[in-house]
Amino acid sequence: MAEQEFQPKIIGFFCNWCTYAGADLAGVTRLQYPPNIRVIRVMCSGTVSPHHVLRAFQKGADGVLIGGCHIGDCHYLRGNYMTIKRMRFLQDLLKFTGFEADRLHLEWISAAEGPKLAQTVTAFTNKIKSMGPSPLKRLTAKAA
Amino acid sequence: MDKIRKKVKSLLTEGKVAGYLGYILREGHPLPHLFTRDHLAELEQAVVPPGDARYPLDKILQALARRYPEDTFTIQVRGCDERGLNELYKWGQLDPDKVVLVGVACPQEQADYCECPGPYPSVVDYGEKCNPVPQSRRVARIDSLGQEAAFQEWLGHFARCVKCYGCRDVCPMCFCKECGLEHPELMSIGKVPPDTIFQLVRAIHMAGRCIDCGLCEEACPADIPLRVLYKKGNLLVKELFDYDTGSLGTGLSPWKSLGDEVTLETKPL
Ligand code: SF4
Ligand code: SF4
Ligand code: SF4
Ligand code: FES
Repeated sequence: MAEQEFQPKIIGFFCNWCTYAGADLAGVTRLQYPPNIRVIRVMCSGTVSPHHVLRAFQKGADGVLIGGCHIGDCHYLRGNYMTIKRMRFLQDLLKFTGFEADRLHLEWISAAEGPKLAQTVTAFTNKIKSMGPSPLKRLTAKAA
Repeated sequence: MDKIRKKVKSLLTEGKVAGYLGYILREGHPLPHLFTRDHLAELEQAVVPPGDARYPLDKILQALARRYPEDTFTIQVRGCDERGLNELYKWGQLDPDKVVLVGVACPQEQADYCECPGPYPSVVDYGEKCNPVPQSRRVARIDSLGQEAAFQEWLGHFARCVKCYGCRDVCPMCFCKECGLEHPELMSIGKVPPDTIFQLVRAIHMAGRCIDCGLCEEACPADIPLRVLYKKGNLLVKELFDYDTGSLGTGLSPWKSLGDEVTLETKPL
């Protein structure tokens, strides 16, 4: 039997004002990107707690993509200042504990950047595919 | 010890403080105790306990301050306890005008064991200042492991957790009314060992807040090297945001305000 290609599960936390609208634009203009991503719309990327990201990994996400407004464009002015602080910190802490920090990615994507959205989702999905299933997921599956 | 007794006695008798939060010797055991003017004789049993008999006095002080918001208290502090007070002032949990320090310098042995960067407080009423230990070898060892080895090591530790919450309950810096570790939608309930992310969630909450007293690690029945995790969290906070946890100098914790500028960049894909 031919081995099936690994289909990662990717959670996207997309800001309502930019990345989520960017995803809409990508859809309207029929840009293609892999269907592995499940998007959660948030009102600002600054509302995404590291705990939400960790919870996603605990529940079996292979990758987590955070999409927010470019610095200076946040609808709430400086919400995304917190986003980058939190996510950079979390990436480094994950690295210390040996968890592949690359499974978490943050990108600024505006409402006008449909192509960037499609490119980012595609590139991130391919990267996670090449990394294989999250070790945390394998662990949870074993325990269950 | 006489110096401490004298200082405390005059603070109490002059009515400058409502009480002294320190340690009393009871049947050979040093226990946390609130000394007051009404029981001055108890000061004879006031002690400075050895390093392995420490309690979270900062935590007890927060409870006292909540109950008697008008009163000023004096408290026995080591270097870490003072760092804790500084951080608690910044987080709005204590009023610096209502706290008087009785300072204790730790012996070198204790500082080495703690890998303590500040083994004495700004006021020293007992003990001799010893040499700070600026680098943590325990952190450096993990840093030098490869990714997979580090992962396996931490997984092994996390798997021993019995979810007693001792680490949180003893922590002088854990003052939240609701705890993310018990959030039913963010943490699985009724499961031992807990979710693998349990210690990571706590580590995130402690970064820029943990004052590296080590009480959590000492309380942990599963011998999880929690302090190493939190030390690293603070090192990252220093590296990324130039924030010194527990010092009065470097403004507010990076998690306490959004900040005025962005100095970091997103990592490339
Ligand atoms: S961390 Fe250890 S050495 Fe440092 S002040 Fe506290 S008890 Fe003393
Ligand atoms: S060392 Fe542990 S108990 Fe002490 S402040 Fe840090 S997290 Fe809390
Ligand atoms: S003290 Fe140790 S065993 Fe108890 S909850 Fe904390 S990490 Fe787990
Ligand atoms: S509103 Fe989009 S990141 Fe804040």
